Amino acid sequence: MNPKQVQKFVVSYLDSTGCHFIEKSPSQVTVKLSPDADRALSNRPYYWSFVDRTGTAPETMTYRWSFESPSMADRTNASPVSYVMTESGRVIQEDVYFGSRRLYQLFDSALFGGRCVTLFEEPPRSKIDPLSSHPYTAWLGVNFKVGFECDMKREELYGWGISLATGVINEKFMETLKDRRLTPRLPSNVHLMRNGLSLRKGMSQLELTMERKLKNTDFNWAVEAEQRRQDELERIRQYYVPMLDNMEHPDQKEQKDAVSARFQQREAEIDWQYRPRVSVTVMNCGIFHLPGIH
Amino acid sequence: MQIPFSSPAGPPSGATSPAAPLSPEPPALPDMEEGSAPFVAQPFKSPANYSPDPAPRKLHPLVDMHVDRTAFEELERRAERNGPWDDWSLYQLALEAEEASLVTDFHALQCLTLLPHFEPLPHQIDTARKVLHEMRGRAILADEVGLGKTIEAGLILKEYLIRGLVKKVLILVPASLVLQWVRELNGKFDIPAVAQRKAYTWDNDIVVASMDTAKRDPHRQLLLDNEFDLIIVDEAHKLKNKRTGNYQFINELRKKYCLLLTATPVQNDLSELYNLITLLKPGQLGGEGDFAANFVADRRVPKNEAKLHEALGQVMIRNRRSDGGVEFTKRIVTNVPLRLSPEEMALYEGVTDYVRKHATTENGDLTSMLSLVTLQREVCSSRDAVFLTLINLFKKTEEDSPLRARIWEIVELIRSIKANTKAEKTMELVQSMNDKVIIFTEYRATQDYLLKFFKEHGLSAVPYRGGMNRGKKDWMMDLFRRRAQVMIATEAGGEGINLQFCHHVINFDLPWNPMRVEQRIGRVHRLGQTEDVQIYNLCTLGTIEEHIVHLLHEKINMFELVIGELDEIIQQFEKEDSLEHRLAQLVLESTDGEELRRKIDGLGDTLLATKNQLHRENQP
Repeated sequence: MNPKQVQKFVVSYLDSTGCHFIEKSPSQVTVKLSPDADRALSNRPYYWSFVDRTGTAPETMTYRWSFESPSMADRTNASPVSYVMTESGRVIQEDVYFGSRRLYQLFDSALFGGRCVTLFEEPPRSKIDPLSSHPYTAWLGVNFKVGFECDMKREELYGWGISLATGVINEKFMETLKDRRLTPRLPSNVHLMRNGLSLRKGMSQLELTMERKLKNTDFNWAVEAEQRRQDELERIRQYYVPMLDNMEHPDQKEQKDAVSARFQQREAEIDWQYRPRVSVTVMNCGIFHLPGIH
Repeated sequence: MQIPFSSPAGPPSGATSPAAPLSPEPPALPDMEEGSAPFVAQPFKSPANYSPDPAPRKLHPLVDMHVDRTAFEELERRAERNGPWDDWSLYQLALEAEEASLVTDFHALQCLTLLPHFEPLPHQIDTARKVLHEMRGRAILADEVGLGKTIEAGLILKEYLIRGLVKKVLILVPASLVLQWVRELNGKFDIPAVAQRKAYTWDNDIVVASMDTAKRDPHRQLLLDNEFDLIIVDEAHKLKNKRTGNYQFINELRKKYCLLLTATPVQNDLSELYNLITLLKPGQLGGEGDFAANFVADRRVPKNEAKLHEALGQVMIRNRRSDGGVEFTKRIVTNVPLRLSPEEMALYEGVTDYVRKHATTENGDLTSMLSLVTLQREVCSSRDAVFLTLINLFKKTEEDSPLRARIWEIVELIRSIKANTKAEKTMELVQSMNDKVIIFTEYRATQDYLLKFFKEHGLSAVPYRGGMNRGKKDWMMDLFRRRAQVMIATEAGGEGINLQFCHHVINFDLPWNPMRVEQRIGRVHRLGQTEDVQIYNLCTLGTIEEHIVHLLHEKINMFELVIGELDEIIQQFEKEDSLEHRLAQLVLESTDGEELRRKIDGLGDTLLATKNQLHRENQP
């Protein structure tokens, strides 16, 4: 993400959480947070529990975020957080760049606040025929993150959708949504098709398809990881097995138990570190009502 | 625990894959037949790769697929209750955030793009890469001092964090370095590390703690019950003996990746190295007997060196200053000889005389003897410094003691002094450089005097001392950076003062401990300094100061030793008694300047011999 992309992201985040912009310039924004955004970003759980319990009107924080990434020299010169007093109160100044903690917090907050949606596509205005009703199909859209993990890791994203009417799967679903106008309210002159699949069945279909897709991928990375695992196991065996073999005397029983416990712990650690696995995470998902019968 | 999708159902018409049953019975546990390793009944549940999926499915004989459906289950719940629904643009932003932070490649270092304001040096990046990709995250970082082991560890930690391979991290360091580590990780790497203070601090994901605290109960048990994705141990040479509590503690901790940092992997004995490596990777050098038989010729002399190097190379990285790549700027040392004014010299003689006479009466009470030597050193700094000490001494002597009159005579000598030769010379120096300069003195009183003296002459100076709290220290640093030309400091060892923007140092007086001199210079002369550093030693002729400057500068040439060399020499040298003590004793035992000079020369020769011995040993 370059500074421009970061800025665009931050501004859209602030827009969609209903924050109030005091000032926008090419490389920075000054913004008074909305209560929701303040809860997510200002790290003041005690303050907010106080507001919730007493019902006082909340006073939200104001930030000035700069997006030009500062050089190290500038950064050591200025403390990363600073305050200015303005007529509207205290403003906290921060640098927001790709890698900064503030941006990560925004990422997390977006992930948390954008988990589940139900949306309808608005029918094109020109085509509205007040006398007829358009059929809409419900889709389950799911964004998957797939992690290929061993002692190393790589990830892929998939934005899939399945028609809950017919079970058709669209592997470019998220992309097809990008140009559509979506609204949380059911538009007029629209009727929804009956679902053939429950959400749960739709999900399980998507998972199965994912499983099949992943089965056909290249597993060289896993074979290599397994080799490393065996390698490491062999190394510690070389160390522990002769040691244990030399502890045959009954007096050494206690010591032997301790060593073999350590041996097992080391084996478990190696397993933990190297055993290849694939994790599929549902990042977010939603029900999308789109025109047509699919 | 719930079993998802357990209801069997036929495929719906039109589904893409009618042949596959919708919900295959998931295997209860991974198959046991693969691999010959005994499967561990309780696999690690570390947060970094904890899978909430009770029923993973097999993708490949080696690989299970774990599904985390939390967000979907949330969707189901909300669908039942008809909302509430999240915002569409946040939904899209969430995807954008994931896309931006996606780890698309097993190998490329992602952390470099995330540190836009900080450029690690090439050898640091190479080291990080090697540890991540070739050493599989278990390594000894054994760079020589000053090459940035902390930076390397930070890079590796950051990379693992970004990749989500590491979440729970324990960093064990000497107590004096805890805050420095926290600050470095926070400031340079934007890693939210916290210093361990209370028991509940352990709940944080990334904790920096002192080894001594961690290994004691109740902390010890708490940590042993935990699992760590990454453990970093700084100053790891303290783990060289496997019978010590430190060693066994680290050995018992459950860990995935592990970094041991030390500048001196071998100090006395090759078996130390063996122990360190065994802690990290048991078996890397074979069993204990194998190691001795294969690699050890004598305690400190290895054999089969090529093979040993190869085995070591797989777990240890040692960058040396001589490898090049890291350019330190030069240190240019100037001694500024001064002649005290007759009044000042009279005071010095008076104090010296008092010390000699008095030392013989004290008979072996080392502490009070040392404080007497301090008197002499203080005269060389400023009359203010010696005045305070004399007054205290006066108060401590009994009322009828004949010493009182003697002390009072010396105080009278102080009264006659009108000017401070050293301060005037310093003033001249500062004005001629017309640049930022940091002045170090040993004494508070001198510091106060200089502040006042400079102020009277229209020169703005800020103080810096150990007693200041963190906030005030930061503020003083800031003032020095932005406003003042001069900083006057009594302390250099404090963590976190990096003054690379300044490249002039004046030693108004010199500590007798060379390490402290080195710490002073190290504030300014460190990685990141772009200019040659000018060091001025003020040296009053005909006093003990002259001898000390002679010893440190001319004899062992400490100012121009390579960074890090000095601590090795001093460590080796001080095994019996500290250098400061030895010097004080020499001063007290000598009857005149000539004898003192000879004795100090002798001490210098011993230091030199230690240095040469170390040089020979460090040759690869």
